[in-house]
Amino acid sequence: MAEPRASGQDGPVSDQGSLAVETRDLWFSFSGGGPVLRGVDLDAARGQVTVVLGASGSGKTTLLKLLKGLLAPQRGSIRVLGRTTSPGGRGIRLDAAVAYIPQNLGLVRNLTVLENTLTGALGRMGALPALLMAFPPEWIKEATGFLERLGIAHKLEEKVYNLSGGERQRVAIARALMQRPQLLLADEFVSQLDPVTTVSIMDSVRETVVTGLTVIMTTHELDVVARYADHVAVLRDGQKVLDLPAAEVNPRLLSQVIKV
Amino acid sequence: MNRSSLGARLAPLLLVGLLAVSLANVGLLDPQRLGRGVMNIGVFTSAMFPPNLGVLETVALAILETLQIAFVGTVVGAALGLPLALLATQTLFGPWLTGGVRLVLAIVRTIPALLWGIIFVVALGLGPGAGSLGVGLYSLGYLGKLFYEIFEGVDAEVLEAVRSVGCSRVQLARFALLPEAANNLLAQLLFMFEYNVRASSIMGFVGAGGIGYYMLGYIQLLRYDALLTSILVTLVVVIAIDYGSARLRRLYLPETRRLS
Repeated sequence: MAEPRASGQDGPVSDQGSLAVETRDLWFSFSGGGPVLRGVDLDAARGQVTVVLGASGSGKTTLLKLLKGLLAPQRGSIRVLGRTTSPGGRGIRLDAAVAYIPQNLGLVRNLTVLENTLTGALGRMGALPALLMAFPPEWIKEATGFLERLGIAHKLEEKVYNLSGGERQRVAIARALMQRPQLLLADEFVSQLDPVTTVSIMDSVRETVVTGLTVIMTTHELDVVARYADHVAVLRDGQKVLDLPAAEVNPRLLSQVIKV
Repeated sequence: MNRSSLGARLAPLLLVGLLAVSLANVGLLDPQRLGRGVMNIGVFTSAMFPPNLGVLETVALAILETLQIAFVGTVVGAALGLPLALLATQTLFGPWLTGGVRLVLAIVRTIPALLWGIIFVVALGLGPGAGSLGVGLYSLGYLGKLFYEIFEGVDAEVLEAVRSVGCSRVQLARFALLPEAANNLLAQLLFMFEYNVRASSIMGFVGAGGIGYYMLGYIQLLRYDALLTSILVTLVVVIAIDYGSARLRRLYLPETRRLS
């Protein structure tokens, strides 16, 4: 049996409130397995970078998929940008205001850098122009602008399968930004990159947060927390075991909490 | 001795017995008949040489028609098979629609190309038009199945990432499924064309155009030297097509290029 999936959403997206994300007593298990998330409460303030830390299998990816609406919770509630998802309720999967970058980025290898970036705008495009790949010139300009800011505009026409890991990461960010999102969910975002590329990519993300974007990212890189996080939550075996402003945590405490 | 070990000892004897009965029924245990067959083959083979080059022009025109039947048939099969394959893809549509389309494709696939040729000769009259449609319908059944299996093999994370920008199924097919599957689609299309050249060469046996019409005529008129000319021309064309497809694969399929 497939795991439960969300399929719609109750109510419109709202700009009200200081929290972009609120989850309460969130439980989730895949069919035939034990609980992956066990009663998670999480708040993410608007315009901040919240980093969710945890070892492999702690439930980080599942949490992000629930926030995106790709999965539906079995118990508890999720409120994203003012819209609530409850067990058995309708989800938020197709909401372009919430951008989601999966662990392996989910780029289309046979499309170019520009085409991949433009797919971020599909949610506001009609079927026929999309079939003909007839993107309005202003969208192409917007996409090119993002790619310039991310330092990859020189590979605009390059197929994605020819790019390095860091370059692909930049394309995934550009695609997410083309959605004009209010919330960006990024899974294991910089975990496969070298330290120099990590700094460069995270600087770009931090820049976009200045414009009001809320970011929730999962990682197991403790260095990212110190430099870029506003808030930190730690998951262990599906439970939240730490939830503090980034200024109040240090790497020793974090590694202790994650490993214990 | 228990029942299972007795069964294991008797199984080879049973198999040999079944083979003997089958050989007798198909007339292959009749030494007189077999001896006559060997002599006939000798006469047939010696009558084939030297090949009759006087029919070369007729045969060349006929093989050109065969190629056109194969080409039109492959294009018709792909043009109809591609949308049907998308409708049969379970990652895009629900089980009722995909199940229904798969059933149609299975029925179309059950009927051999030659039988489709006869059906279209009855419907449209003698000639290559009937052969093209016969090959086209047969290709539709096969390409439809091969294509939906390719679509279902596309990385689920890519589909999830593109779907989550808020796009429709049509857009998902255009921007994720088709580009991700393009290399495999092309490989199957080339294979189908190669296969169809062979299938089209016997369409003339039922009056559906191409070199088969002449081959059958040469056999009936005992013109074995002319038959050899048509077989040799077909062989040269098939080898040329195989070579051309291999070149196209290297040109358009990066995986093939890397391995070569």
